[in-house]
Amino acid sequence: MTSSATPAVAIDGLGFVYPDGTRALTGVTLSIPRGQRVAIVGQNGSGKSTLVRQLNGLLRPTEGRVLIVGRDTTGRHVAQLAAEVGLAFQNPDRQIFAGRVRREVEFGPRNLGLRGAALDAAVTGALETTGLTQQAEANPYDLGYSRRKLLALASVLAMGTPIVVLDEPTTGQDARGVARVQGIVTDLAAAGRTVVGISHDMRFVAESFERVIVLRAGQLILDGSPQEVFAEANWPSLASTYLEPPLPARVGAVLRLGSTPTTAALVRALVANPGDLRAW
Amino acid sequence: MTLRLAGASYRYAGARSPALIGVDLVIEPGEVVGVVGANESGKSTLCLVAAGLAPASIGGELGGSVTLGGEETRSLRPHELAQRAGILFQDANTQLSGTARSVWEEVAFGPRNLALPVEEVVARVGRALAVLGIEALAPRDPQRLSGGQAQLVALASVLALRPALLVLDEPTSQLDPLGTRLVGDALAGLAAGTGTAILVVEHKTDLLERLAGRVLVVDGGRVVRSGLTAEVLEDPSLGHLGVEPPSRVALRRAVEEAGLRLDPGALAPAGSGHAS
Amino acid sequence: MTVPATNEGITPGVPEFVARHPTGAYAGLSPTTKLVVAFTEAAVAFLVRGWTGPIAVVLVVATTAIIARVGRRMVPYVLATLPLVASILLINTFLFPGATDVIARIGPLIPTWSGLEAALQATLRVVAFALSVAVFSLTTPTDDLLTDLERRGLGRRGEFVIAAAVRTIPRMLERAAEIVDAQRARGLDTEGPRWRRVRGILPVAGPMLTSALTEVEERTMALEARAFSAPGRRTVLRLLPDSAAQAAVRWMLLVGTFVVIIASLTGLVRVP
Repeated sequence: MTSSATPAVAIDGLGFVYPDGTRALTGVTLSIPRGQRVAIVGQNGSGKSTLVRQLNGLLRPTEGRVLIVGRDTTGRHVAQLAAEVGLAFQNPDRQIFAGRVRREVEFGPRNLGLRGAALDAAVTGALETTGLTQQAEANPYDLGYSRRKLLALASVLAMGTPIVVLDEPTTGQDARGVARVQGIVTDLAAAGRTVVGISHDMRFVAESFERVIVLRAGQLILDGSPQEVFAEANWPSLASTYLEPPLPARVGAVLRLGSTPTTAALVRALVANPGDLRAW
Repeated sequence: MTLRLAGASYRYAGARSPALIGVDLVIEPGEVVGVVGANESGKSTLCLVAAGLAPASIGGELGGSVTLGGEETRSLRPHELAQRAGILFQDANTQLSGTARSVWEEVAFGPRNLALPVEEVVARVGRALAVLGIEALAPRDPQRLSGGQAQLVALASVLALRPALLVLDEPTSQLDPLGTRLVGDALAGLAAGTGTAILVVEHKTDLLERLAGRVLVVDGGRVVRSGLTAEVLEDPSLGHLGVEPPSRVALRRAVEEAGLRLDPGALAPAGSGHAS
Repeated sequence: MTVPATNEGITPGVPEFVARHPTGAYAGLSPTTKLVVAFTEAAVAFLVRGWTGPIAVVLVVATTAIIARVGRRMVPYVLATLPLVASILLINTFLFPGATDVIARIGPLIPTWSGLEAALQATLRVVAFALSVAVFSLTTPTDDLLTDLERRGLGRRGEFVIAAAVRTIPRMLERAAEIVDAQRARGLDTEGPRWRRVRGILPVAGPMLTSALTEVEERTMALEARAFSAPGRRTVLRLLPDSAAQAAVRWMLLVGTFVVIIASLTGLVRVP
């Protein structure tokens, strides 16, 4: 029985070993409430992609378990979990297969059983959100890389899943593309959907997400708000997984203004401390 | 070897309108020039034209003059161009040969094509792998690499040709901050140490701030801004042109908008900084 | 022309995983030698009339398989011939034209001894061929063969085309698996009853091929950008073992096989 307090995602003691013996995750435990915006960060190979693939069943736990909206993923097909967890792949070319943008976006919702007017609405909505309405009849391979990435995102958005996972949504995007993705993350959460984002871009992470989970070598080493995670006390831990806090956090530390992970937070801190000798 | 574009225009074969219009650009040996702009503004076309692949390899119409070391690119054959200008495409996977058994052999592909002596091939491959810190990938199957690893291998393959001009189209797009830093350092080292001229397209303006001496902004196939990195990246119209200003610039602007000012020393690069 | 048996002294610095090649009794021969052996075995298996040809090939192949120690791994190759062998046996035994030496009458079916004999002989040819292909594949990595052939004049384009073709299929299968994974994440059901799985995967196959083809232009450009069309011979990284003795054996095999086949086909020499 689910209640409003049931977390969207509950992970308990999760461990994962690849068939060739490589261990990718160890003892990961965390819980994501509905509607939260969570970023997962860490260097290449730290287990980020492995972790999110446990959410929709593409990979299965070696130890521990994963609960999606209160139900264990064990025994549930990937196709069944796809109704609850939408995953936009990092490389759009691994996801795109249709000859036309519209057909590509239709695929997911169609698999979930949508037809007719409901299907059209889902597709049209997703195309609008990602700015691809004009390209609806185009061949995906005539679009540039960043548009194909948005197409992969649209294909997942159209499925209307309560949990949306974005794997590196801003790589290769120009400023407008990044702004669009940021808007999408905010809008999804505002609509009550849970957003999980993997990213290397600490500025994007600090500005768009309310919670940051840091992985190193398959283990969870930090978990908190951007303000907590990017605080100076944690910089050595971040450095151990080759991450650097965003510029505003560094400036805020230099000016002894506390933890200011975003530009807005730094400005607020400066305005609140007019006596600071570095600002006038 | 100097790259010189004078009034360069280019139209893809079968296209109705030109993708590049009236570009003037000079890159001297040892210079690093950054290129920014919205997606589909012509940056990639500029790369193909600078490396001579347009028109030598893909046809189309080239107007104006594009010279490498004084020779017009349209008069050079693809393999002659390859020895002068190395190009890294946005998509690392299509750039890899697809026939090499190991990363080592993949990186050796270019030097082998030039019929260099074996010792030279071995030296170049070793150096290219070392400069990017990917010696450990040498025995791996190139088809089984992650996106970031493939990008580094593709870059190493281009470096192994030791071209006098490097044209790089978003070389760090798939890399994490560590990889980005490595590539940035490697490129800076190449420019300074061997006098390689470098043209690099990037969205990461923070990286260009550290790496490039000059920056061009491309919009609608034209170069609309050109100058020293600091000046161009502080241009307030950058956002309208689809370019994210560097973190430093964005931060300073936000603070100034709130009616405050920050001592420039507070914005010094990470690690160098205590209040001055 | 004598070529050194190993290349360690010739190419210092080339890593072991690049330079290595099979060693051992049969596997250590030049790839071209093994290719000639396989070719002559196949030719004899199919073109020499009578039982002697195929039997000789089977014996030779069995010997080389034992020397090269690949015996057990040949089983899948033999099993792969079963469907063909089964149809040969059935068709020839029951439908051999003009045969009158009937074995039995089973309703409408009339198996004949001549038919059975022809069937068995044909079966033996197919099995002999399969075994020779097996030994060749198991002792000769494709890359070794292509490297050797390139050195002998195949040229970089020939090598590239064959190597790309050989690698394309596994790569497309892997890519298909990745695409299918992505589609499963969008609700494509691959874990239900088999028929549903097949029906689900079909729409993915066609467009996947198209996208593989659209990459071709960019790949060609990338090759040229790496000086692929430069003139002359590419640098040789690996010298595969060869010797004057092997060269002589290759010529003898080719000539000898040619003679035997002609003799058999023209009926000059009758062998059982």
